[in-house]
Amino acid sequence: MIKVDNVYKRFGVKTVLNGVSLDVRSGETLVIIGSSGVGKSILLKNIIGLVKPDSGFIKVDGVDITNCSLRELHETRRKIGYVFQESALFDSLNIFENVAFGLKNLTSLSESEIKQRAKQCLAMVGLENVEHLNPSGLSGGMKKRVGLARAIAYQPEYILYDEPTTGLDPIMSDVINDLIINLKKYLHVTSIVVTHDMNSAYKIADRIMMLYGGNIIFNGTPEEVCNTKNEYVKQFVRGSSQ
Amino acid sequence: MMMKASVRKIVKFERFAQKVSNTSFGIVFASIEGFGTAAEMAKETIRDIFKGFISAKDTVTQMVEVGWSSLPIILLTSFFMGMVLALQVGSATSNMFNEPVYVGTITSFAMAIELGPVLTAIVVTGRVGAAITAEIGTMEVTEQLDALYTLGTNPIRYLAVPRFLACFFMLPALTVISNIVGIYGGMILSTNTWELSSSAFWAEALDFMTICTFLHGFIKSFFFALIIVIVACHKGFNAKGGAEGVGKATTSSVMTSMVFILIADYFLTALRVTLRIK
Ligand SMILES: Nc1ncnc2c1ncn2[C@@H]1O[C@H](COP(=O)(O)OP(=O)(O)O)[C@@H](O)[C@H]1O
Ligand SMILES: [Mg+2]
Repeated sequence: MIKVDNVYKRFGVKTVLNGVSLDVRSGETLVIIGSSGVGKSILLKNIIGLVKPDSGFIKVDGVDITNCSLRELHETRRKIGYVFQESALFDSLNIFENVAFGLKNLTSLSESEIKQRAKQCLAMVGLENVEHLNPSGLSGGMKKRVGLARAIAYQPEYILYDEPTTGLDPIMSDVINDLIINLKKYLHVTSIVVTHDMNSAYKIADRIMMLYGGNIIFNGTPEEVCNTKNEYVKQFVRGSSQ
Repeated sequence: MMMKASVRKIVKFERFAQKVSNTSFGIVFASIEGFGTAAEMAKETIRDIFKGFISAKDTVTQMVEVGWSSLPIILLTSFFMGMVLALQVGSATSNMFNEPVYVGTITSFAMAIELGPVLTAIVVTGRVGAAITAEIGTMEVTEQLDALYTLGTNPIRYLAVPRFLACFFMLPALTVISNIVGIYGGMILSTNTWELSSSAFWAEALDFMTICTFLHGFIKSFFFALIIVIVACHKGFNAKGGAEGVGKATTSSVMTSMVFILIADYFLTALRVTLRIK
């Protein structure tokens, strides 16, 4: 279980997170929506400990990652997979080495098992015969999927997705949606998905939250999103400029 | 309410701090702060090395990158440096004494104690220091360093340690080669232009040189290596703001290294002179 409690984060004079609190229950898929620049990525980075909140705390399975030993932090990170918004593939390594990176560091699999698992994960995101390529030889959407394969390869309990379907074609987006759903169904993965893509949100979400002005202003099921009276949420969901 | 007031105070202070940081005072403050974080990073790197977190494969790759790939440019620059030294010394002494004297002595002295170590350090700064900053900086701005963390890898251990070791051992090695090639270049010029026999050149060169003369330059090169690699990694890890930021970090890395190399060179030499080590 992930528990975010009253987290504040400022950059200079700009407050990005203004007392955000949320719980993610085990086995659920939580979708966080919100316009660009509201701090969705920063929120995810706080949860995995890449960014330290100014105040508040974040607990992953009871470990306060804002204030714990390096070993605990390391232990916690192996439970969490992170899909970066801009893929963040290592461009000095080829695709196989990218996907195998976490497997080598976080698991005790043998060389051949790693090879097999990497291939399997790439297939899950719809990529074949790309192992030997360099990231620079891939399109943006392909890189994104490699990033996804890298994050799910070591079978973390939690996966944080930062806009996993942005920049993918509609068919590929749906492949990723199904992947997220299947990971939950078969491996009981708990996910937090940040997205703008409402189709994807409705399809995968158990709960949807909206981040606005540094706070969670909405928290409900997909049906509740459809029927909400909250003006901001309605506008965002409809995608109208008024 | 208490909370609100204190937050407002902090905001006010930050605005003030931002104003200060735009002045030249700010630059001084920033560079002092930079010293602190660079020292912290160096400490962590060295601690990791002593704890044995060393990837042999990555270290060897970096050694090849730093040492072997820098070799051609070091050979070329050192050879010409030796030649121009011999040419200058020969022509100056010819004007004074009607014959070229001390060509071997001065050329080899200058190469071994100053030009070999400093020239090598400067060339390696331009080649290797810049590359290290650009690579790590690009990784920083494209979140690859964050990705390393999430995959259970410490970027210092993964990136800084092999580069640190490679520079620390390869720069002195390159310096030795630079000394030899430079003096050899001086000899070639002297035999051709000043009609000195090569044995006479070597006799002049070795007469006054002790092992300490050579060691002086050799030991300095270890310090230069530390400067290059610590500055380069530190600037890379702290790069901000996309491609432009990486460019700025790289320029700043090269400039900072060069300045610190020359300053360190002076103080190390002054130390030797004060301690009267011959
Ligand atoms: N390292 C940083 N320094 C200063 N400001 C930052 C930094 N990272 C993010 N921000 C600011 O935080 C805000 C939220 O960013 P982000 O979480 O990336 O937004 P998004 O919701 O689109 O993912 C942005 O307005 C950005 O300007
Ligand atoms: Mg984002």
